[in-house]
Amino acid sequence: MTRYTLPAPVPLSHTAPDPAAAGVPVLLVHGFGSDYELNWERTGWTRALADLPVFGCDLRGHGASGKPHDSREYTPAAFVGDLAAVLDALAIERADVVGYSLGARLAWELALAHPHRVRRAVLAGFGPRDAFAGTDLENLEADDSPFGRVFRSAAALPGGDPAALAACARGQAAHPFRAEPAPEGTPMLLMAGERDELADGVEDLARGVGGAVLRAPGRDHRTAVAARSLKRAATEFLTAEADALSQS
Amino acid sequence: MTQPNETTFHLPDLGEGLVEATVLEWLVRPGERVERNGPLVEVETDKSAAEIPSPHTGVVARLHAEEGDAVAVGAPLVTFEVAAQEAAGIVGTVPGGEAPRRRVRLRLPEEDRDGQDEKDEADDRGERDR
Repeated sequence: MTRYTLPAPVPLSHTAPDPAAAGVPVLLVHGFGSDYELNWERTGWTRALADLPVFGCDLRGHGASGKPHDSREYTPAAFVGDLAAVLDALAIERADVVGYSLGARLAWELALAHPHRVRRAVLAGFGPRDAFAGTDLENLEADDSPFGRVFRSAAALPGGDPAALAACARGQAAHPFRAEPAPEGTPMLLMAGERDELADGVEDLARGVGGAVLRAPGRDHRTAVAARSLKRAATEFLTAEADALSQS
Repeated sequence: MTQPNETTFHLPDLGEGLVEATVLEWLVRPGERVERNGPLVEVETDKSAAEIPSPHTGVVARLHAEEGDAVAVGAPLVTFEVAAQEAAGIVGTVPGGEAPRRRVRLRLPEEDRDGQDEKDEADDRGERDR
């Protein structure tokens, strides 16, 4: 997949939709500590969604994008600004958004900040509970909370920048997710591994937005990202006729 | 399409410096026909989860691991029955009686890519390992 770099104070590495693919563009937003390739290409998501015009970026702090070490650079608003800038650069007015983990939260925040730019959203590997509950953000190298384990796994990946990831975690923790207000006018599908503790409460979140929830049997936060059942459900949701979604 | 040949696909290096991966879920069954680059198996490592695409078009003859099994990089993963011509192309020889092919097929030909554009390192490494 051809890569482009959006020049900005924090440069963003992104892809572009295949001009031959028809339909609403699908923005893929990866999770904490991952990147576009790891989260979407190597897991088979881009294969599963190959008929759709999919694209995405490496979030700031991740992959080939800029990696500031100041937690103030990692507010939800900063991430949302990046996503909107990628849409602008590609001249995409409105997209569907599929996010995993942190990416799901950002899909929500994007729909909240720019309701007209998000048609439908798939929120995967995400729940409304505080992802940093019980996490010692000053001592992530030794922290044994669910998020601490995610952090260490991410920091150990090739190209991972532990200082940028720690700043990203602190930036997120300083702005906890709130389920109210919810984005209006964006149909949502929620999905997670059955054993994904970071998605606790996703059923409550789904009730609040009138969306369906799908759980991948036996999968946890790390392994659900590759689950075929989730890719299939997302594809069906994104390609369904609009009136089929209003029943849910 | 003449007599089928068998070819075995070994677990590729997933590029994380890890020596093994665990089979999460087979996406094919023995006897099933698969397309090149179609979903084959989901695996997990200590660091991530991945879907490995099929390196061949053919019929699945045997799976060499159960779901939940750890498989070493380079160990047999699945054996395919493939058409004689493809099996020959993979090892880089010219099938008898045919005009020499322009090149050994180490990359997915453009006309087979079917609009898919992922660069698949796992797949490429698998090709090299064979």
